[in-house]
Amino acid sequence: MKVKVFFYSYFKDLTGCAVAEEIISENAKIADLMNQLYARFPKLTAMANSTLIAVGVEYQGRSYVLREGDEVSLFPPVQGG
Amino acid sequence: MKRELTITSGPLDEAALALGRERSTKAGAVIVFLGVVRDEENSVPISILEYEAFEGMARHQFTKIFDQVETRWPIESIRLIHRIGAVGTGEASLWVEVMAPHRGEAFAACQFTIDEMKRVVPIWKKPVPVAS
Repeated sequence: MKVKVFFYSYFKDLTGCAVAEEIISENAKIADLMNQLYARFPKLTAMANSTLIAVGVEYQGRSYVLREGDEVSLFPPVQGG
Repeated sequence: MKRELTITSGPLDEAALALGRERSTKAGAVIVFLGVVRDEENSVPISILEYEAFEGMARHQFTKIFDQVETRWPIESIRLIHRIGAVGTGEASLWVEVMAPHRGEAFAACQFTIDEMKRVVPIWKKPVPVAS
């Protein structure tokens, strides 16, 4: 199944794009998706420990089971204000 | 609790915001916080900060923060404006107004709102150094 992945802030520079589409297996977790993304965009690996992950508009952990059509967002720690 | 959230690429007009204040006779405390862009980031002189937001999620997360504020303190109203795009040094990027019966809860709610914003609201800033 397909999921869209959006990148924000300097993650766009690390990946060279603002959005990517990934094909993942049924019942794949965010952790599985992240492994695919680290292979495709190796520069993201350096930020692995501080990457924030959202599905839609809610934060999710790496054990979240993805569904067809999910929109995943990856970004660095937030800095509002 | 009245709530108003604005995420805008336009300027912050403090005078207009003050004029738009709907005072309540129940609110003994009105506090306003301004977050202002300093002229350096990590000791490097800058000309502007470029703010970026994941706006849909930012709105959702602010709503959740306001929900928590409403649960924890007897706040009459909260208005919050965050600018995105280029914000020059000395300009305000954030404006928060809290009205409450007493100052303690107004200050606490304002502090909580900003602390939580800095923890969960997806907004980022990119410093643009002064041209050498």
